[in-house]
Amino acid sequence: MTRTAPTTPASPAPATNGAPGAPAAPLLSARSLYKTYRLGRVDVPVLRGVDLDVRRGEWVAVLGASGSGKSTLLHLLGGLDRPDRPAPPSAARAESGRPAGRIAFDGRDLAELSARELDRYRSESVGFVFQFYHLLPELRVLENVTIAAMVRYGRFGFARRRAEVEDHAKALLGSFGLSHRLGHRPAELSGGERQRVAIARALMNDPPVLLADEPTGNLDHATGEAILDEIARTRYAAGLTMVMVTHDREIAARADRVVRLTDGRVA
Amino acid sequence: MYQSLLTRRYLTSKIMPLLAILAVMLCSALVLTTWSIMGGFLVMLLKIGREMEGDVSISWPTVGFAHYERLIEKLESDPLIDAACPVIETFGVIVLPDDRQFGVKIKGIDERFARVAAYEQSIWWKPISEPLPKDRAREDVRLDPEWWSRRARMMASDGRIDAAEIAQYRPWEQMLADGLNLRERDPMTGAVVPAVVLGIELSGFSERLPNGTYAPADIAGRRVSEGGFTLKSGFIPNGSVTLTVLPMGPSGRAVGAVSARLPVANEFRTGLFEADKNTVLIRLEELQRMLNMDEAERLVEAPPPADPYATEVDPDGRERAPQRAASGIEPARVTTVLVKGAPGTDPEAVRARCLEAYAAFARELAGRVPSADQMHRTIQTWERQQATFIGAVKREIAMVLFLLLFISFVAVFLILAIFWSMVSEKTKDIGVLRSIGAGRLGVAWLWLRYGVVIGVAGGVLGSALAHAVVWNINPIHEWLGRALGLVIWDPSVYYFPEIPHEVIPWKAGVVLLGGVAFSVLGALIPAVKAARMDPVRALRFE
Ligand SMILES: Nc1ncnc2c1ncn2[C@@H]1O[C@H](COP(=O)(O)OP(=O)(O)O)[C@@H](O)[C@H]1O
Ligand SMILES: [Mg+2]
Repeated sequence: MTRTAPTTPASPAPATNGAPGAPAAPLLSARSLYKTYRLGRVDVPVLRGVDLDVRRGEWVAVLGASGSGKSTLLHLLGGLDRPDRPAPPSAARAESGRPAGRIAFDGRDLAELSARELDRYRSESVGFVFQFYHLLPELRVLENVTIAAMVRYGRFGFARRRAEVEDHAKALLGSFGLSHRLGHRPAELSGGERQRVAIARALMNDPPVLLADEPTGNLDHATGEAILDEIARTRYAAGLTMVMVTHDREIAARADRVVRLTDGRVA
Repeated sequence: MYQSLLTRRYLTSKIMPLLAILAVMLCSALVLTTWSIMGGFLVMLLKIGREMEGDVSISWPTVGFAHYERLIEKLESDPLIDAACPVIETFGVIVLPDDRQFGVKIKGIDERFARVAAYEQSIWWKPISEPLPKDRAREDVRLDPEWWSRRARMMASDGRIDAAEIAQYRPWEQMLADGLNLRERDPMTGAVVPAVVLGIELSGFSERLPNGTYAPADIAGRRVSEGGFTLKSGFIPNGSVTLTVLPMGPSGRAVGAVSARLPVANEFRTGLFEADKNTVLIRLEELQRMLNMDEAERLVEAPPPADPYATEVDPDGRERAPQRAASGIEPARVTTVLVKGAPGTDPEAVRARCLEAYAAFARELAGRVPSADQMHRTIQTWERQQATFIGAVKREIAMVLFLLLFISFVAVFLILAIFWSMVSEKTKDIGVLRSIGAGRLGVAWLWLRYGVVIGVAGGVLGSALAHAVVWNINPIHEWLGRALGLVIWDPSVYYFPEIPHEVIPWKAGVVLLGGVAFSVLGALIPAVKAARMDPVRALRFE
């Protein structure tokens, strides 16, 4: 499977630990993100001007309490949802000249993408890993991984690449020690195995960015550690850029850089 | 691509879609079965009508028209016309060997009738080498070339039947020939005499078996005037019947009844119950003679004189008004000429040619035959003659199908409900698909495609069910009759003793497409719901 060349990090070397004033444009950048949920007549502001830059190959952990808006932020970064717009007028911000509510991937504003391009962005540029695995229960393990390629290539494209795709999926699953589980249903797997399958699915299309939403939140400590080891290993091997949200300090500590999400802002 | 994989997996792991398939299957089977049977009824009616009556009939009822041989000659010179034959159609009373009597339709025909109508096929008592499709036990007496002689010997040894009757037994080949000729050799005198051929349901002597064959009754009783019974062979082609007809005078008034006792040469079966129940075929010349429609010297009414005050002198030398009765040779007449078009010709085209031919004929014989204008309305295809009835049947089919379609709409709602609940159940999966890059259209297509698959599966299964039911409708009907005493298809109401049992492929195709359309319709709203789903909410869905 070939990668989209421009988004491939030139060197998978670990980034310097959040050094201020780092050169090179960030791969993923968020500016003044606002998200307010409406519950009946009450507005529940969740994100109140989040700014975040993630450089190529960097592993950023977003640490925040439960309900602080971590998942919401990840959904925005992954193009599953759009930030509020226009951003609530804030004189100070406007004066500072920042563009309001902007997410850019590799320099491209997600707000400018059509629905179809956004679908493509989710398919090719990012991979999601969820706390509750979210595998499709009717599909077998191998199909749960290859489905990402089916969505990406469509009927004929997939048919052409079928062997290649399946080899890649098998290699990914093999690297997570699941070679003997290809024909099983998700219900027949343990939590750790399911999460490994979900990670393989997220990596199926070789996205430059992995977005992980408390990937170990539903696993026991030992399994969680093992999964994190695997994620770290894969990241180095593939040169992945990674945003992982968690409420667990210890887990966050494994990242290159930790940012805190409090009161709807990143500090 | 992922849509087909998921469709396959959802289909094999869920019970709900199977219910949806069942609903589509039952609805399409219902519609296709009804359509096939009712449509088959109409097709059979038209087919048998054409087989019996040819494509077009040219008729001048009751008094008939003369010089028909000239007309037939003209018609047959047309390349679009295969054959034409003269026919007399009238009504009369028949007296059967057991003295039952009732009104019947009488048709005078000659050998040429077999060229226009499928007459030879309809003659029942004839040699056959292969049993009828449903006659698996080979019960048909016609399969036995020696049946007639065995029967004659049996009757003779029995001693209950007189020798004259036994002498009537003829080989199947002879019976067929006699049926075609409508003549029979009298076994006593050796003279060839005109005969009749009866519709097979008319006498009721032969019993129709469920396998489609007829079993001749052994014996029929006959009451004699002194009291008591004599016995007759129940094989009707060995008996004779008495026919009574009413010849019409020139003014259209009956001039007295004429009766004749005629041997029965054979029986015929068209499959149209009405015709088989009350039609008697007779040799044309004999009927012409009975109805005074043959060529003969007769007193005819002369046209009124040009001068109303003219006088003439009578044989006694006195003056008197001119006598309007004159004696002259009157040509033979028939009421109808039946016409058969060349194979594959549209009956309407044949009718147009008949109109032309008749116009030429009427010009040639102006004043001696009904004019082309008068005849215009009576030169008709069988379908047009029966237009009121056929139209009613067609409208009834349309109405029933419309009602069934309406009822089938229930299936749309059923599918909607099933799909709605499946989409709700699969909310999280939809969120997952969106998160790995599936678009709204792709998600909508997943459910629409699922609807198509359910429609195709339900339609194909329904079509198979309908085929099974329609092909076996007669055994099913018989079974219903035996088990529940339920006889829905009464031949005297529905014209045919058998329920039509053919499925027309294009109808099956239409019903299949309809099933798919209904399924897609039912899947449409759930598909839109799935497509409009917010992926984030879908992922958070518990
Ligand atoms: N669709 C929604 N409608 C209303 N409130 C929501 C909705 N989705 C999330 N929230 C609220 O937004 C807040 C942030 O949610 P979330 O991003 O899931 O936080 P976290 O992932 O940090 O636990 C929570 O208080 C949650 O109740
Ligand atoms: Mg969360």
